[in-house]
Amino acid sequence: MSTTVQARTVLVIGNPNVGKTTLINALAGTHLKVGNWSGVTVEKREARFDLQGVSIHLTDLPGAYSLSPQTSEEIIARTALLDTAPDLIVNVLDAGQLERNLYLTLQLMEFGLPMVLALNLMDEAKSKGLNLNPRALEQELGVPVVEMVASQGKGVQELKQHMLQPPLAHKYQVQTPASLQNQIQQMCEIMAPYPKLLPYSRSFLASMLLEGDTTLRSRLTITGHQKVVQEADRLLEQCTSQGIDPFMDLADVRYAEAHRIAQATILGHEKRRTLTEVLDGILLNRALGIPVFLLLMLGVFRLTFSVAQPFVDFIGGPLQDTVSGWTTAILNVLHAPSTISSVLVGAVIPGVGTVLAFLPTLLVLYLAMSFLEDSGYMARAAFLMDRLMRSVGLDGKAFIPMILGFGCNVPAVYATRTLENPRARLVTSMILPFMSCSARLPVYAVFSAALFPRMASWVVWSMYVLGLVVALTFAAFITRLLPNSGSVTVLELPPYRLPSRQVLWKQGSRRTASFVKRAGTTVLTAVVVVWFTLSIPVQLGGHFASVAPEQSLFGWVSSLIAPIFSWAGFDTWQATGALIPGFVAKEVVIGTLGQIYLGQQAGGVLSFGLLDGLQNLFSGLWIALQQAVAAIPGLIALPSFFVSVPDTSQNNLIAALRQGFTPAAGLAYLVFVLLYTPCVATITAIANEQGRKVAWITVAYQILTAWLLAVLTYQLFKGLL
Amino acid sequence: MRTELSTIAIGQTVILQGINPQHPMRKRLFELGFVPGASIRLLRKAPMGDPIEMVVSGTHFALRQQDMQHIWVQK
Repeated sequence: MSTTVQARTVLVIGNPNVGKTTLINALAGTHLKVGNWSGVTVEKREARFDLQGVSIHLTDLPGAYSLSPQTSEEIIARTALLDTAPDLIVNVLDAGQLERNLYLTLQLMEFGLPMVLALNLMDEAKSKGLNLNPRALEQELGVPVVEMVASQGKGVQELKQHMLQPPLAHKYQVQTPASLQNQIQQMCEIMAPYPKLLPYSRSFLASMLLEGDTTLRSRLTITGHQKVVQEADRLLEQCTSQGIDPFMDLADVRYAEAHRIAQATILGHEKRRTLTEVLDGILLNRALGIPVFLLLMLGVFRLTFSVAQPFVDFIGGPLQDTVSGWTTAILNVLHAPSTISSVLVGAVIPGVGTVLAFLPTLLVLYLAMSFLEDSGYMARAAFLMDRLMRSVGLDGKAFIPMILGFGCNVPAVYATRTLENPRARLVTSMILPFMSCSARLPVYAVFSAALFPRMASWVVWSMYVLGLVVALTFAAFITRLLPNSGSVTVLELPPYRLPSRQVLWKQGSRRTASFVKRAGTTVLTAVVVVWFTLSIPVQLGGHFASVAPEQSLFGWVSSLIAPIFSWAGFDTWQATGALIPGFVAKEVVIGTLGQIYLGQQAGGVLSFGLLDGLQNLFSGLWIALQQAVAAIPGLIALPSFFVSVPDTSQNNLIAALRQGFTPAAGLAYLVFVLLYTPCVATITAIANEQGRKVAWITVAYQILTAWLLAVLTYQLFKGLL
Repeated sequence: MRTELSTIAIGQTVILQGINPQHPMRKRLFELGFVPGASIRLLRKAPMGDPIEMVVSGTHFALRQQDMQHIWVQK
C-alpha cells in the first residue's frame, strides 16, 4: 500500500454574486482561512483539508466576469490561474444566468485543464421558471456538471467526489474567429521555444495579447519575454490596419458559442414574477424608495446606539469596575507596591477596556454591513443614491460607508472596499472621519446638558449635520484636485438572497477580531502613555502616580498647547488636556474631563470579593441585555428628535463644565471634538486601506479644519449666546 | 440612423445593435451581456431621474443616461 499522501490543488472561480462564498464555506467549513492577496486589500479565501486520505488545497479566486481583466479582482484571478498548475478548476455558475456565466467558462476552457462546472443557485432558476437540462451542458462541453444549491448543501458531496477523482482534461476546442486564426497560430509558434510560458495557456495568452491586454504585456516584459510582446504588437497592428478588432471578434465568437450552449441547456422558460421583482416594486419605487432607504439606514444607525451601546456601557462600567476591583483585591493580598496597582488599575485595565468597548459597536456594524451587501440590498441603495452622491463627486455606493460612519468610523473605512473605483475609495475614506461616530455622542450629550439645557437635542443634531456638510464639501473639493479617472459604473442588481447565518457570523466575527489585533496594541499603548504623563510630576514635591493632574507632565504639556485655542474660547489646560486622549478614542474625552475636573478616579476603586464581583458582572450583563432587547422595536420607528440626556451620575461634571466654559466656548469645543482627527483605530484603518501618507494627510487637514471652524464658531457666537 | 438607448422610453423593449467603440466601458458591457442581439427592457428610473434600471437578457442592471447614449439599439 502506498504511503505517499495524495494532494490536489483546486481553484474555484466564477462571476461575482453566484454564491461562491457560500459554496466554499459548504466545502471547507472550519478549515477556511481568510487573508489577503499579497499587496492588495482583496480578501483571499483558502482551505486545506483532508478528504478520504487526500490532502486538498482549495483557493477561492475573486469574482470575475472575464479573464480580460478590468478590475483588480480579475487581475488577481487571472494571475493565480497562470501561476498555479491546478489539478482541478471548479467553475461556479449561476444557473439562472447561464449565457452570461458561460462567457467566462469558455475562456477557462482554453486552458485545457480538468474542470468541473458547479451549476449553483438551481433553486433560484426554478423559481424564475427555468427548466434546465444539465446533461446537455455536459455533452456540449465535455466536462462534468454538478447541480447545486450551495446554501442548502445540495451537490456538495458530488463536488467533493470530483475533487477526489478529477476528470480527465477535456477535449473541447473553443473556436477561433476566422479573422484571427493566422495570427493566433503565429503567436503560438513564437511562444513555443519558451518553457516558462506554461504550455497549457499558450493559445489563451495569444488571444489575450491580441485583445490588447496591457497587464499581460507588462508581466511578460518583466519575465523577459519581450519578443512575444513585440510579435503581439506587430500582429495587432496588422489586424487594425485590416480593420479587424480582435477583441470584438473573439468576444463575438465566445458569445455566440455561449448563447448556443445555453439554448441547448434550457428546456423551457415560463416567465414568473419573482419575489425580487415584487420587492423591487416597493424598494425602488419612485416615491417610496428613498424614504424606505432612509428608514433602513436609520435602523442601522440606531442599532449602534440602542442595541450595541448597553454592552459598551457594560464593558466600560460593571466589567471594568469588577476586574479593577478583583485586581486591587489580589494586589492587596500580595502586598504589591502601589505603583504597580496604579499602572494596572489606572492604565492597563482601562486601556484594554477601551479596546473592548469598540467590540459591540463593531460587531453590530460589520454584521449589518455584510447583511446589506450579501442580501443584494446594497446595489439598490447605490441605485437610489447615485445621482445625489455624484453631484458632490462621490460614487453612489459611497452612501453606505457614510451611514456606517455614524456608528463607528472603523468599519466604515473597510466598507469602502465595495466601491470599485480606487479614486472613489480614496475620497470616501478621507471624508469618513467627519461623520460623527457614536463615541462622540457622550461629549455632545454632557456639554448640551451643561450649557444648553433647553436646546440639547438641537445642539446634538446640528453636530451631526455639520459633520455631514463638512464631509460633502470636502468630497467636492478633493475630487476636483484629483485627476479624473473617468469611472463608468454598470450597476448589477442581483436577485435578493437571504445570507447564510454562518457566513454572516464568520465574516463579522473575523473582521472584529482583526480589529482587535490591528488597533488593540495601538490603543492600549496610547492609554498607557497618557497614564504615564498624568503620573509624572513636573514640579518638586510630587510623587509618581499620586500627583494632581495640573502638576503632572500631562498638565504641563496641555498648558503649553492651550494658547492655540485662545481664539476658540477654550484655552484652559483642562479643556486642551481632555482633547489629547481623544486621539485614542473619542469617548475618552469625557472620561478625561471627569478625571481632570473631579480629581483622579483611580484612587476611588474599591476592592471586590469574588462573589461581589460575580454578582456585579451578572447584574451588569443582565441590564445590558434587557436594554438591548428593549431597544429592538424602536429600530424601525419613525425618527424622534429626542436625545436622551445623561443621568444624574454626571451632575458633578456638568456643574464643573458650567464653570469652565462659556456657552459659545462650549459650542466651539464641540465643533472641535466633532472634526479633529479620527481616533487611532480609524487612522490605522485608513493607513491599512489607503496607505500611511493618506492617513497622515487626513489627520493634518482635519486638525486644521477643526481649529478653523472652532475659532469661527466661537467668534460668531460669543456675542450671541 | 442610430437610435441611442437614452432616447427610448421606460417600459419599452429594444434589441441591442452595438456599442460605440470609443466608449471606455465597451469591453465590460459586452462581457456583462450587452451583446448585439440582446434584448433590453427599460424598467424604471431612479427617484432622481438617474440611473435607469433595465433587464438585459434576464439580468437586471442600472446605467446612467450619459452612458446609455453610447448604446445603439433597434426597436
